[in-house]
Amino acid sequence: MTRLQRSRTLRWLCTFASLVALAIVLFPVYAVVVASFESTYTLFSGTYHFWPASPTLANYRTVLSAQAANVVTSLIVGLGTAALALVVAVPAAYALSKYRLRVTVVVVSSLLIAQIVPSIVLATSLFIIFHWVHLVNTYPGLILADGTYAIPFAILVLRAFFFSLPNEVMHAAKVDGASEWQTFTRIVVPLARSAVITVAVFAFLNGWGDFIFALTVLNGATIQPITLGIYTYLGNYSTDWGAVMASAVIAIVPAAVMLILAQRYIASGLTAGSVVG
Amino acid sequence: MAIHERDPGMVEGGGQRRGSSPPDGRSGVRASDPTRLASWLSLERKQRLAGWAFLTPAILYVLFAFALPIIYNIVLSFEQTSPATIADITAPFAGLANYRFILHDPTSIAAIVHTFEFTGGSLVGQFIIGFSLALLFSLRFPGRTFARSLVIVPWLLPLIVTGVIFKFLFQLQGGAVDQLLVNIGLVHHPIDWLDNPHLALWTILIANIWLGVPFFTLLLFSALQDVPLDVKEAALMDGAGAWQRLRLVIVPIILPVIEVTVLLGFVFTVKVFDLVIGLTGGGPANSTQLITTWSYNLSFQQFSFGEGAALNNLLLLLAVICAPIYLMLNRGSLGRSSGVER
Repeated sequence: MTRLQRSRTLRWLCTFASLVALAIVLFPVYAVVVASFESTYTLFSGTYHFWPASPTLANYRTVLSAQAANVVTSLIVGLGTAALALVVAVPAAYALSKYRLRVTVVVVSSLLIAQIVPSIVLATSLFIIFHWVHLVNTYPGLILADGTYAIPFAILVLRAFFFSLPNEVMHAAKVDGASEWQTFTRIVVPLARSAVITVAVFAFLNGWGDFIFALTVLNGATIQPITLGIYTYLGNYSTDWGAVMASAVIAIVPAAVMLILAQRYIASGLTAGSVVG
Repeated sequence: MAIHERDPGMVEGGGQRRGSSPPDGRSGVRASDPTRLASWLSLERKQRLAGWAFLTPAILYVLFAFALPIIYNIVLSFEQTSPATIADITAPFAGLANYRFILHDPTSIAAIVHTFEFTGGSLVGQFIIGFSLALLFSLRFPGRTFARSLVIVPWLLPLIVTGVIFKFLFQLQGGAVDQLLVNIGLVHHPIDWLDNPHLALWTILIANIWLGVPFFTLLLFSALQDVPLDVKEAALMDGAGAWQRLRLVIVPIILPVIEVTVLLGFVFTVKVFDLVIGLTGGGPANSTQLITTWSYNLSFQQFSFGEGAALNNLLLLLAVICAPIYLMLNRGSLGRSSGVER
């Protein structure tokens, strides 16, 4: 083989290897979509079908009536988490990047460590703390708890972004007589639009996909997000796999939409929160 | 019970306190003219006040949602809790009884052992696969961008959904994994992935490796992108083989990123909860019980919040051991500011 041929073969080998990797990565997602269209009879036949044996929408019909309220709940929680994250994180990230404050080191260190703290530790305490302040079983309580995923990440990502913002822009605004607040709302936030959207998307996904706080700080069936709805299906000995899979597909939809819409932000956003240095 | 204004994060070094720090007096005022100094000072102060105003919501949030629960968790671990005490702020002091309990409770000990096995196994698997994929994606071949953009999919799914999907794929009756293994002739009889206590830990391990590989791939890939081309070429000129180039040239360069990635992989794996609850619920016979799931069980199913909190503190200790290392690796950016007044 010539050198050229060998390198061409090598390239196609790489393509093949990454296709195998992708197949393994994507198969579970494929399987859940297929199973959601499968009839109950097929699902319990004891044979797995890689393609729906008898496609049906029955599972979605079951689930739409049972989970519609849960989807609304999850949307409220997701949007609430995104709103909370933005209100807290955008100004904080601005302060931590553009103002010389003595607490910067302490606050940034705390945020890095906050990302490490296991949610079950927070959930156990928050459950009892929420009892005193009557936040158990409320949207504000759940959203405050879900913010623990989103807020440290959002501040660190936005801070990294604000570093790249030239100071001249803010300086010019102040020379023109803008106050600190006006500079922030009219100049800085619009310029940071893409980063703000990225953290909002992640905060939404955090709130939408949260399970541990829904399981702990919600203590009853009055508020039930879709993640909890899926979990309650599993409780029994005979799981209604069709319903579980259709609910799972619904729970995946926002992630899929985000992947398509915000593709270019996601990869950078995911890594930026981890390695700030 | 006094809640100290102490930041949870400051485990490294001298344990500084926040909240009582005096206003910064050493700002860059270089005006030699004393009459202009006054106006400069007021501008300085105005800016500092604005900075504090922007930061206050975040500080309050961190105190309420992180510092308070962590401190309360420690208090709780020394209390004799019962379902009746949940409504109260405090319960009777219990000394070290909760800690004694978890050191003698066979399930707690098993959960601790499982957590280490699960975390160690996950890290090894995720690193090997993630690094291989990162190397693969840094080669030039048709479809590499496409493959790279899709490899992060596992990361975007709600974790409980991942657990449920794997439960479906690994089930004995009509599970895709067993059917595939039987079809290609790797095994003769379907494997009981979920109900065999000797296998179930492997099952959650496989699912977690699947879940964590994208994180390793992405971080290591971006590190590989930053390796200067001429360094690679120089090594090639010196006649180094592929393995030698990797071991002696590339790995040393990206070592800092490898360290951060493994460290974060560790803290993320130690806190895995949803996946296991969805997949096995800690069973069968507690064989997949981790610190997180058993702590949940103690607190929220047996209502022994004190015992749950004691186990939580062990978990917190594991995570916090990593904190100084993590801060050190990030030290460059901690106090950085690119402020206007610079």
